[in-house]
Amino acid sequence: MKILLFLLMTILALCPTVSAETLEERVKNLENALNRQEQIIREQQKKIEQLSGQKEQIQTEVIQTTGVDSREKERSAVRDYRLDDRSKAIAMQSASPISPYQITEKQTPSLLNPSISLIFDSLYYQTNLSEEELEEREIPGYVALHEHGEGSHSHGHGTFEKGFNLRSAELTIFAPVDPYFNLYATIPFTEDGSEVEEAYFVTTSLPAGLQIKGGKFKSGFGRFNAFHPHAWDFVDAPLPYTAFLGGEGLIEKGIQFTYLPPLPVYTLLGFEILQGENEVLYGEEAKSGPHAYTGFAKMSLDFGEYNTILWGISVTGGETKTESIEHETEFSGNSVLYGAELTYKWKPSKDRSLILQSEYLLRHQTGDFEYLEDSTVDSLKRTQDGLYLQGLYQIDRWRIGARYDVLSIFKDTYKLAGEEEDFGDNPYRLTGSLEFNPTEFSRLRLQYTYDKSAGNGKENNEIFLQLILGIGAHGAHSF
Amino acid sequence: MIKKIALCIVFVFMFMGTAFGELRVVVTLPWIGSLVNEIGKYRVHLDVIVKATQDPHFVEAKPSMILAVRKADVLMYNGLDLEIGYLPVLIESSRNQKIQSGMAGNVDCSRYVKVIDHPDKVDRSMGDVHPFGNPHYHFSPKNIERVAAGITEVLSRLDTGNADFFRKNMAVFSSKLHGKESAWKAKHFHGKKVIAYHKLFEYLAADFGLTISGYVEPKPGIPPSVAYIGRLIEKMKEERIHTVITTSLYPRKEVDFIADKTGARVIVLPHDVGSMPEIVDWFTLMDTVLTRLQ
Ligand SMILES: [Zn+2]
Repeated sequence: MKILLFLLMTILALCPTVSAETLEERVKNLENALNRQEQIIREQQKKIEQLSGQKEQIQTEVIQTTGVDSREKERSAVRDYRLDDRSKAIAMQSASPISPYQITEKQTPSLLNPSISLIFDSLYYQTNLSEEELEEREIPGYVALHEHGEGSHSHGHGTFEKGFNLRSAELTIFAPVDPYFNLYATIPFTEDGSEVEEAYFVTTSLPAGLQIKGGKFKSGFGRFNAFHPHAWDFVDAPLPYTAFLGGEGLIEKGIQFTYLPPLPVYTLLGFEILQGENEVLYGEEAKSGPHAYTGFAKMSLDFGEYNTILWGISVTGGETKTESIEHETEFSGNSVLYGAELTYKWKPSKDRSLILQSEYLLRHQTGDFEYLEDSTVDSLKRTQDGLYLQGLYQIDRWRIGARYDVLSIFKDTYKLAGEEEDFGDNPYRLTGSLEFNPTEFSRLRLQYTYDKSAGNGKENNEIFLQLILGIGAHGAHSF
Repeated sequence: MIKKIALCIVFVFMFMGTAFGELRVVVTLPWIGSLVNEIGKYRVHLDVIVKATQDPHFVEAKPSMILAVRKADVLMYNGLDLEIGYLPVLIESSRNQKIQSGMAGNVDCSRYVKVIDHPDKVDRSMGDVHPFGNPHYHFSPKNIERVAAGITEVLSRLDTGNADFFRKNMAVFSSKLHGKESAWKAKHFHGKKVIAYHKLFEYLAADFGLTISGYVEPKPGIPPSVAYIGRLIEKMKEERIHTVITTSLYPRKEVDFIADKTGARVIVLPHDVGSMPEIVDWFTLMDTVLTRLQ
């Protein structure tokens, strides 16, 4: 209820107040408009009757287009259209206004059926680590890969199996509901079953550049977060996202308000109220009801014909209860995650492009750290950060990529019961990739990653060979 | 509470109905912009999203485009899925009610067109085909006249004060076109055989008696293999085809290779208004295309 009220208040606040006078005026205008409309319809009806009578005659008429005054010309042009069975169309569209040129307006079938697509995402994975070492791999001081839930195969970092992997076959359905709502659903099928990854509506017709998104959706936090795994620039998520949000990013039930102000520079402001179920940052047991909030501001500018830059800042914060920090422990307290993003795109033609992208994330967490075995409680206060830098260069159907992602780059404090803990070397990785994209609907990717994210643990040399195929509707690409 | 909701709803609707001055028209492709110019002249404000240097099949959404669409009173596009890769994103992100699908300001120009090449059955093993028929109808004077008439109607409906002005301009456009048509008709190609790069000129072929015997692309959007080029060269020699038509958007390597092996003439045609400096509107586009083809 509170949310509803809030929603209404926002709309209210953003709508310009209308005085009683203009209200009256508007009603009067509306009345006049209605009257006019009625008259038009009457005239229209008359015309239609005339037309149906003339139809046969017109079809054999020879038309001269050499009239001198423009009225004459216009009339002859009108007849031209009537010639090819347009008169039939006019007669049928009795509601259409005064149109001499009116012709059959057909609906595109794509408007009537939902767009459905299926995206297949599979890979072959090889590493120097054993299956056991892989399973036990974690990022010390950040996340422990806890073995709860069988279905956590696809949950990001280090969870690929050696050999063949089927990441998912992802079903996406989209259609406008009516002129006011669009509806989306994304349902990835994995070997462990299926889940509704996203299902949300988006309003299209709120006034003043407002938009509401609701349901379960990928948060507008940061840049990388919005993309589905098959649309990622590399096989896996960058370290800061894995460390602070888990392998899938921030996907939450909730509501999002965005505002596109009428400025000469693209600016998008957003605010979200979220349930707060992300297992790494929040946790559904932290509090019943929504307990996480997100805000973001994004901007973009074009330079010349071929260059675009996008930048933005985001913040998400809320109450936390998670078992993901260390084994056999539970943390409850508060978390805030800050993000800054910068992307540069150069695209002189369809055969060539360069994208440079970077994001910086900083997470601040304070609360109680409980050891589940003996129920002792310590205070935990940690402020840690991470960064990734990546570049992708495309020539024709080929694309090469490089990425550097790192944690604890500028800030790393981890105070347990007031004592600073040391987890060894800064976690980082180096990645290189080569893609071949036969068409827009297929992608073959070879990726090598040198992974030094396990602190003083073993380094991981990973090779991925990934194949992504899409069938069905041609989805529009986000920017 | 209920009062508040009601009030709020009233305000929302009030705001939706804000009055405007000059009609703001946003179009995707330059040729649509040219038609809007012919009809609306200085009494509409025109924004064109796609540059003439871009291949209309591979346009990507940019935030700056959203800004243009946000302010639009009417959005006019080619349709037949040519803009499928970016337009849905722009329409949704614009938060502009007037141009949502189903609204009066959402104008799919292909609805006025007699579409050709409508495939009986489509799957993508056939390449990136256009599933609703060939979308490149802007080379067809007959269809363009209908589109211009449709544009006139939409503009007149949305800006009733200027309806007479728009209709007058349409009549002028129509008669100019009819005048041109007889000159263009004189350039009938009588079945002249050519090879084209992409299925871009099918309407032109249909209207002006050109026979397109083959394509440099084996399938739409798929670059040719060496073997395919070999077969195409054989075919050109056998059928005595001496012309290859392409645009500045497509790679020259294969085209030049074919020309070299067969002695064929390569004709580079403009694909849209603005793609060559002398092409300032739709009429000069047609003039240039037909002159170059001679
Ligand atoms: Zn095409």
